[in-house]
Amino acid sequence: MKLNKHPMNEIFLNKWKSQVKKGTLTFIVLNILKDQEFYGYELIEEVKNHTEITIAEGTLYPLMNRLKKEDLVTSKWVEQSSGIPRKYYCLTETGLETLIQMRGYWKKLEKSIKKIS
Amino acid sequence: MKFIEFKDPSAQKLYRNYIKQAEKATKVLSTEDQEDILMEMNSHIYEAVQKDENRSSEIEILVNIIDQLGVPEETLKPLIADKKMDQATQTFNPIHIAKALILNITNGVAYIIFALLYLSLLLGVFLIGAKVMHPQEVGLFFESGSLLVLGIPNLEYHPEAVELLGNWFIPVIALVTVLLYFLITFLLKLKNHFKNENQFNF
Repeated sequence: MKLNKHPMNEIFLNKWKSQVKKGTLTFIVLNILKDQEFYGYELIEEVKNHTEITIAEGTLYPLMNRLKKEDLVTSKWVEQSSGIPRKYYCLTETGLETLIQMRGYWKKLEKSIKKIS
Repeated sequence: MKFIEFKDPSAQKLYRNYIKQAEKATKVLSTEDQEDILMEMNSHIYEAVQKDENRSSEIEILVNIIDQLGVPEETLKPLIADKKMDQATQTFNPIHIAKALILNITNGVAYIIFALLYLSLLLGVFLIGAKVMHPQEVGLFFESGSLLVLGIPNLEYHPEAVELLGNWFIPVIALVTVLLYFLITFLLKLKNHFKNENQFNF
């Protein structure tokens, strides 16, 4: 099928992509934190490496703050030899349980989308 | 907080100015929250400088990082608005609540409604003041067994009106106002808890 390159179509597509990214960002971050703890800068890099999504700093830090409030992640300051500590984020037990449920839902969704596409 | 040291004096100046801007932007928060945000920002800048692979000059690296971070007032706005709202709904302090509502007013109609609800509480304060000035004309008036008005009726047209609360008017209105204040703040806390993530940008 030939792709329609109409500019309106592109605007719509970009908006849709942005919505998908917004909707999955929490899922992506929780997945990355599953096996390892990361500090903010590293987390942005990890998301970029795994998903090619560049999260703005102004997006990541408020998100982490909210995930902390929801008790999905915790953070701790870890002293460094440089004298400038890093704030590491890791999943809580609730975070892990939530992630497992999110993965289940994601798989179901993926399966049903595959059926219709 | 330990500051990052740059060899290039221009880079050092640019960095210190940026941190100063961030300090100013976060002044509205508690010292603890402010320090937490500044330390994380400082750490972010430090790590980004260390990991720069282009081996550019210090000033180039720093300009890039700061450019990506954006102006502190703007980039920190969502985080400051969130943290201020947490502080406000935890402390029930009216000054923090007023500041938190101002910071969040652009985040949805709900915050405008909350601001109006808080403003409506001033009616209680007004009624108490009016009662002190005109004890006979202000109160909770009933006429022929049904509620006429809470406030100031025109007694010429309602000669039968009877005021019910008497000396209890001020304490009752004060109590109701305080209770409503706590109720609205509790609702604000709930609203804040279920806030969605629509403000994130890509």
